[in-house]
Amino acid sequence: MMTALSDLRTDALREIGNIGLGGAVTALSDLTGVLFTLEAPQIHRTDTATLPELCETPESVVVGTVSRVNGEWPGEGAFLFPWESACVLWQMLIQMQPSELSDIDELYRSVINEVSNIMLGNYLQAISQMTGFTLQMEPPAFAADMAQAVLSSVMVEAMYGQRELLAIETAFKTAEHHFKGYFLYLPETGNLEKLFSVLGI
Amino acid sequence: MTRAEVQLAGMGEIVMARGAGVIGCIGLGSCVGTLLFDPRTHAAALAHVMLPEAHEQDAKLLPGKYATTAVPTLLRMLDLSPATASRLRAILIGGGELFQNRSQALRIGERNVETLHRLLCALRIDVVFEHTRGKTGSSFEFEVATGRIKVRAVGAAAIERDLAAALGIQRRAA
Repeated sequence: MMTALSDLRTDALREIGNIGLGGAVTALSDLTGVLFTLEAPQIHRTDTATLPELCETPESVVVGTVSRVNGEWPGEGAFLFPWESACVLWQMLIQMQPSELSDIDELYRSVINEVSNIMLGNYLQAISQMTGFTLQMEPPAFAADMAQAVLSSVMVEAMYGQRELLAIETAFKTAEHHFKGYFLYLPETGNLEKLFSVLGI
Repeated sequence: MTRAEVQLAGMGEIVMARGAGVIGCIGLGSCVGTLLFDPRTHAAALAHVMLPEAHEQDAKLLPGKYATTAVPTLLRMLDLSPATASRLRAILIGGGELFQNRSQALRIGERNVETLHRLLCALRIDVVFEHTRGKTGSSFEFEVATGRIKVRAVGAAAIERDLAAALGIQRRAA
């Protein structure tokens, strides 16, 4: 059903996830003064749309953004934070947090949007440096809702017009705070060959 | 209704129940829970539709994934042809747009709902209950025996409706 990716190519996609998010997480550390560590990126190829860890509790609240990326490796970049982690992030950055979903106002939204902007900008810059690709991002769109609903909306949109979906997922967390964030890059699969040829594999 | 008894349709999946049981979907964003009910046989079939139109080949693997393949598959599962489909009643849940202020929105949720309406209208199937095109995600459970539906969203009170009359369910004598 799916076109198989060779081990080499899967490793290359993992490495891209690593390098890209390494840059992004450094930017977040600069912003917060907290050290973030990366988990090993995971490559998902799917014709539905589930992310095992986040979907363990499909109705729990996640806060997230999605941004369209244009250029030579187009796709969608999405950040997803479980509610408790989003609250940790708000505390770090503006020293306050909403007590429930309806408390999320323009300030809270703009903090998450800004974090996404900075992180995705750094992610794309790292990939640009590696590949020479020109990449532009559009401003992030915000949602706070059931995990499964947010995730599936992101993935279904990325899946539109494609037979299958490729997701490069990288989780980042802190040692001292109870925080875990997820980044997904969902590239248009038609452009994968171009990426691999630039990387010489 | 406890969670354990609910037969859930995951993304692109179809579930069915006859006479009894509870069917539903969890975490619908732009996806649409598309339920067809046959009052004569008391059977209900539910597809978790993700996208409006089928991509070639793919639909054979997961017919519930696309509106255009899900509706004919639901008819077949209910042993009906397009000629006899008009006795069915439909329920649509989902098709929301969770991400606001998107600059290049594909409006997948809205297009899912539009496509389903067009397909159901062509088959003369009435949509008796609909909770679609909102700005939030939703989950729902449908009790086949009674026609009761419960729709949940985050941060809002659950909506409960008794659809027995609308679905043509005969009340059993007490």
